[in-house]
Amino acid sequence: MRKSSRTLVALALILGVAMLLGGAAQSADKQPVVIAVPVGLSGVNSVVAPAVVQSAELAVEELNAKGGIMGRPVKLMPLDDESGPAGAVKAFNTAIRQHKADVIITMETSAARNAGAPIADRAKTLFIYTSFYEGRACGKYLYVNAWVPEQIVSPLVKFMTDQKKVKKWFVLGSDYAFGRGLIEPAKKMITQLGGTILGEEYQPLQQSDWTAIISKIRAANPDGIMYATSGGGPNIDFMKQFKAAGLKMPVGSLSIDELTAEQGGNAAEGVYYTADYFTSIDNPENKTFLGAMKKKFGANLKTPNSLSEPEYDGIYAYAMAVEKAKSTDADKVAAVLPTIVFKGPRGAVQMNKQHHAPLPVYLAQVQADGKTKIIQSFGLVDPGNQCPNLK
Amino acid sequence: MYTTQLLDVVTTAGVLYIVAVGLLVVYGVLKIINLAHGAFLAMGAYAGVLTTWAGWNPWTALLLAAVMGVAVAALVEWRVLRALYARPLDTILATWGLNIIVVQILTLYFGREIHFVESAIAQPISVAGVTYSQYRLVLFVIAVALGIFVWLVMQRTQVGVVAQAVIMNEELAQALGINTRLVRFVTFCLGAGLASLAGALLTPLVSVHPNLGVPWLINAFMLVLVAGVSLGNLALAALVLGGAQVLVSSYGNPVLGSLTIVILAVIILRFRTITI
Repeated sequence: MRKSSRTLVALALILGVAMLLGGAAQSADKQPVVIAVPVGLSGVNSVVAPAVVQSAELAVEELNAKGGIMGRPVKLMPLDDESGPAGAVKAFNTAIRQHKADVIITMETSAARNAGAPIADRAKTLFIYTSFYEGRACGKYLYVNAWVPEQIVSPLVKFMTDQKKVKKWFVLGSDYAFGRGLIEPAKKMITQLGGTILGEEYQPLQQSDWTAIISKIRAANPDGIMYATSGGGPNIDFMKQFKAAGLKMPVGSLSIDELTAEQGGNAAEGVYYTADYFTSIDNPENKTFLGAMKKKFGANLKTPNSLSEPEYDGIYAYAMAVEKAKSTDADKVAAVLPTIVFKGPRGAVQMNKQHHAPLPVYLAQVQADGKTKIIQSFGLVDPGNQCPNLK
Repeated sequence: MYTTQLLDVVTTAGVLYIVAVGLLVVYGVLKIINLAHGAFLAMGAYAGVLTTWAGWNPWTALLLAAVMGVAVAALVEWRVLRALYARPLDTILATWGLNIIVVQILTLYFGREIHFVESAIAQPISVAGVTYSQYRLVLFVIAVALGIFVWLVMQRTQVGVVAQAVIMNEELAQALGINTRLVRFVTFCLGAGLASLAGALLTPLVSVHPNLGVPWLINAFMLVLVAGVSLGNLALAALVLGGAQVLVSSYGNPVLGSLTIVILAVIILRFRTITI
């Protein structure tokens, strides 16, 4: 009696544990792969954030239609990082602790990234950063698939020096990390190519009247100018005031984007800029991508741009890495991620250079109607030494 | 070089004057700082956006802006502010609240993204051998015209003279049978209308977003604090503070330049004898 009851209890225990395990194993199979997207839904990035979320939504929908990642459904988790560090800390903690995110793939301000990346690193969560930025952010679990200054600045300075015969330059920017972070390499490149810098000016972020700087440009009378304001409106403010003042020298921009140029009408006409993504890139992947975006979002579509498109590439690269590693374990995925090549709308992108990616770079010019025309392709441009301590 | 700087100084002063005059009018008569001034500026700027959307002549934006500003101001004065004049501190809360409400409504309707407005004048003009922005010069002329207009209203019209009486001694004016309620109403509407007009006038220079009024509100606030209730003082303050900003930006750098107005305002306030 006693013995049999003991056997019974043991049997029940074994059964129970087996059931639990079985249940757990089964739910792990079906459990979704959670992709968190902390992005600036409010604050300065709120102009571009909806386009980023749309890119992510399309990628996730397409993955799920093909059966998900390793047969597991993919779940998208957009969060608001309020475009800044405080919001990013909250968003990253929520993503990792509450939603058990397998990966963070997002476009953020540099301030938000600097606050969020250490959280992801401590939690051993993979973080694919999809925003162009000032460069040199490094971490074991941090990968970047968008441009750094080395890729964008050099081709533009070179073009203006060679083709537009700009020898004497005036450089200016908004007074913060991005503005100064892009003007610095521009200055280096200009001096390398034998040019001289007649003036260098920075404008406080909230100041929208460029009068003083424009008068300084007029007094210096350079052959050409290079500027890096913050994204969006300030580009148009500056160009409008620049033209209204009657200045006509060639302008290179490190901060304008396709959407802003188009909204600005003819304000930015003639401005040269370089980027890795334009809607007019002529390849089948881009056409398919744009077609699918239009079909999914219709009238609500936010024009895809060089800040939002890499989100799509990032999610695909992650999905392919997980399939290859046969696991969502961050260490295993991180180990294979540099070997993954995703041929997307920008072309083939591989994050194999110290966690950064060589990218196809194009030179474009804003036309009279605000539309952007690609005038030259530089092919794949290397990101240079971003993180020498990483492989 | 000096011609350019002279032009920079006078046109910057003109812009500052245009932005601050509405705030000054309200402060002078109602003795309240209209913290919704920035929201009225933004509203005027969006009048420009609407005009661009409709494809109208860019100048019609000015009329539309003034009408919108006056309409909203009339409603707010009638339903909210009127009850609060006895509690000046609460008017700060009320106008700041109004600022938030207006900005949020603009955000709801137009979105957070940046809009651009067609310029009425985008061509440069040659002045004394210097190619300069024609629109900035036009702004200066408008600033002078606005100054004269407001001065005429205050000096030569019934409402203006009555308003002056209210500025000098409100109790006495009331005792003399002056309808101070009407004076306050008209002044608030005028001030808000001027603010919206200023917003519409700014749009060819800057892009439009819901919070565009905030940095301008701060500068206007400093100018009004320095100028007190006098239109002449306001013009002088705009010239001195705006001029200092331009010169510091030109010979120093724009980061220092943006501090100039605030720092000078503090210094002037410290040494000015209070006359209000």
